[in-house]
Amino acid sequence: MSPLRIPVETSTLSSGLRVVVSPDHSAPVATVGVYYQIGFRLEPRGRSGFAHLFEHMMFQGSENAGKMEHIKLINSSGGLLNGSTYHDITNYFEAVPSNAVERVLWLEADRMRALKVDDENLRNQRDVVKEEVRVNVLNQPYGGFPWLDLPPVAFRNWPNAHNFYGDFADLDAANLDDVRSFFHTYYAPNNAVLLILGDVEPGESFALAKRYFESIPAGPVPPHVDAVEPPQTEERRGEVPEKFGPLPAMAIGYRAPARGTPDWYAAGILDRMLHGGRAGRVYRRLVLERQIAVEVSGAINYSSGDLFDYNGPTLMITTIYHKPEYSSEQTIAAFEEIMEEIRDRGIDEDELRQIQVKFRSDFYSHLEGGMGAHMPRFGLMHYLACFTLFDNDPQLINSVLDRFLAVTPQQVREIAGKMLVPQQRSILIRRPIGKGGAQ
Amino acid sequence: MSSTIIETPKSGPTKAPPLGPERPVAWPKRATRTLANGMQVVLVETHWVPKITAELFFRSGNAVTAARAPGLAEITASVVRTGTANRDSQTIEENLRHMGADLGTSAGADTSAISISGLAESADGLLAMLDDLARHASFPADEFERVRRQKLEELRVERTTPAFIAAERLRHVLFGAHPYAIVAPSEAQAESYRREQLQEYYAGHYVPSDALLVIVGDFNTPAMFELIEKTFGQWSAPSPVKPSNPAPPALHGRQVHLVHLPGSVQTDVLVGNRAITRLDPDWYRFGLANSIYGGAFNSRLVMNIREQKGYTYSPRSGISALREHGYFTVHAAVRNDVVAATLTEMFYEMDRMRSLPVGDDELADARNYMTGVFSLGVATQDGMIGQLSTVYLNRLPDDYLETYRERIRSLTSADVLAAARRHFDSANAQIVIVGDRGQIGEEAALFGEMKQYDAQGNEI
Repeated sequence: MSPLRIPVETSTLSSGLRVVVSPDHSAPVATVGVYYQIGFRLEPRGRSGFAHLFEHMMFQGSENAGKMEHIKLINSSGGLLNGSTYHDITNYFEAVPSNAVERVLWLEADRMRALKVDDENLRNQRDVVKEEVRVNVLNQPYGGFPWLDLPPVAFRNWPNAHNFYGDFADLDAANLDDVRSFFHTYYAPNNAVLLILGDVEPGESFALAKRYFESIPAGPVPPHVDAVEPPQTEERRGEVPEKFGPLPAMAIGYRAPARGTPDWYAAGILDRMLHGGRAGRVYRRLVLERQIAVEVSGAINYSSGDLFDYNGPTLMITTIYHKPEYSSEQTIAAFEEIMEEIRDRGIDEDELRQIQVKFRSDFYSHLEGGMGAHMPRFGLMHYLACFTLFDNDPQLINSVLDRFLAVTPQQVREIAGKMLVPQQRSILIRRPIGKGGAQ
Repeated sequence: MSSTIIETPKSGPTKAPPLGPERPVAWPKRATRTLANGMQVVLVETHWVPKITAELFFRSGNAVTAARAPGLAEITASVVRTGTANRDSQTIEENLRHMGADLGTSAGADTSAISISGLAESADGLLAMLDDLARHASFPADEFERVRRQKLEELRVERTTPAFIAAERLRHVLFGAHPYAIVAPSEAQAESYRREQLQEYYAGHYVPSDALLVIVGDFNTPAMFELIEKTFGQWSAPSPVKPSNPAPPALHGRQVHLVHLPGSVQTDVLVGNRAITRLDPDWYRFGLANSIYGGAFNSRLVMNIREQKGYTYSPRSGISALREHGYFTVHAAVRNDVVAATLTEMFYEMDRMRSLPVGDDELADARNYMTGVFSLGVATQDGMIGQLSTVYLNRLPDDYLETYRERIRSLTSADVLAAARRHFDSANAQIVIVGDRGQIGEEAALFGEMKQYDAQGNEI
């Protein structure tokens, strides 16, 4: 069914670092990433926001590349770089002309081996992170909605429910000992995967990986963090005042099935039935037909990542910005009508076929780009990393699609009956406090 | 201050390895043709994923209607996708899903565009959809009313968003009576749109003689030309008459334009001056100077106010080139207590660029950055469409993509200095500040004569 075959070769160094290579010579560029299995979910209690603050510290200098050298080395090689923190992973990645691959590997190995930071760097990056939180959350209409607002309503276990960007008091309390301990615990080669994609040869890539990374010793296995959520038996509700924006908004989240289970594949299709653009049931009903909402959107793991890049309790989320003349209760009732229809009637063959065609097409585009026009194959790298770290099977890249394309109407109806019930959902309401919004 | 080395189990290689020999960038071959009706077509085959992306541009946008109905091209584009003579809104959306397709319709100051991306196996259907939307949009009355209300709510949200408010104010200041001054309509203007205005705009401006069609992806070029000829060949319509626009104002001396946003816990600082279009011979060296000043992550501005001082998360400078004029901007969202300090550093770095030649290493690094990032843009369908549309919409030379890297490599320190002196006009820079005036007004007023506005653009 899927005509796209991605070449994937893998190797594991003696330190436990997994290396994944996918050659593609269509352009003289390469994408390199290092993914560590650590994210918001596993950061220490009393140190909310630390996984993300630590990500900033990884750009502050390492044993042989001082502060500002990391960015300078990549930019001056003609490349772009970034890092990001997710619930269960933190990544560092570079897109470069392919003659710079060895230099990138040297740099990533240098900071995996030995970070070199001081109090001043930490203070500086703490300030930068606070401005990041202000520009993205505290000083923006609908800032942090729903990715920071909804988890504390939906979840009961701290790893899933705390402030992922960090309370300022927790950020202020972070010190170099925390940086040291976090680095030791999570930034070991056996807790990571190295990905080398693009205009490279597998043999040469493995040799370079060995040369730069193999002498970095393995660390102890990171401690197990219990992120299990107690079962939910009642609808949960929460409310956050909206300081700037004029429209009332809400996020509705249903518990999603565990990764890789038959229910998960069915839920992936059900999600697209609800949220697949303007043809999706929720947009069609609430925006186009009943015109209660101005904008709706949604997905599994919406606004924190996507269907493939988490490994723990998560939600299928719908966000709704609705007209002030409709109350929250009217909006929720209109939404619930859609859920009821899907529970009762399921999906017909034609709609399912359309959704599966679109699912396949979206998957291809995501592998090709996925992070703007200048980060080729970011999506391919991202999924290969997740399939390696979470599923121990990077070859899933070539087979996972078939499982979604094989989902039947019966399976969609069954998962809808299980998932889309009010007792399994949490609702977060963002109510404007300014003039122009209904109280 | 002493550094802490977190872990040194066994030292690694101490020096960064040199770059390998540069590999040639082969620009994918493109095929171009102009149909008898004037539609210009550019095709590039890329086969990594079985998809195609097609974008149909018309060379007019919000600027041509700014005098009578600001934002008209944009709402026209939004309603175009809601119905045609052959399909209603729901049919359009279901047809798209069936072809694995995404559709976007949009308009900027100078262009209107319909973009479609879907599975290669549905190429015929994708082009038929493009044609239907470009020629047979029906502007259903109920869809028009729905979209107008949606736009109104969007505008209300945008005018609570600091970066939007800052950009809107700066465009007013830099362009005065020229249509580029207007980024979005007022609420009253959006409320006064009539359906007939949209139909009139569509009939007059969605025409083949003013169109550029760029298609990138998994197809066979001769077969695609045949399909395009069959789909669009019979289309004919008169060319639009475009008004000539008043000159933007002369701007003398620094002025401060403070937009009061009560309760802000951060301040948006946006500094700008008018600059050049892509057709100006200075384009390349201005680009290089910008990259050194604040365009790249490792630029002087970012290193100064982010990495050394921690004032801000994402400071950046940039060049915006519209068809008739361009402008240069420097932006940072900063802590409320460092507004004056930020402006001081922005101007210091600008004046340093104007005063002192850039050293050889920094110059070489910046040239590498510009040429390397340019190459990254050929590896995705989106990147390719972006590069090609820039070349053909701006009527740049045919060999622009092939010669770009050479042109950047040939630039000298004297070029950068000359470009900075001409385009980083710090003495006459316009300063827009968006924040809570009670907290920042006094610092802002240090930098020039100050006017104050509310978020709707009224002087206060």
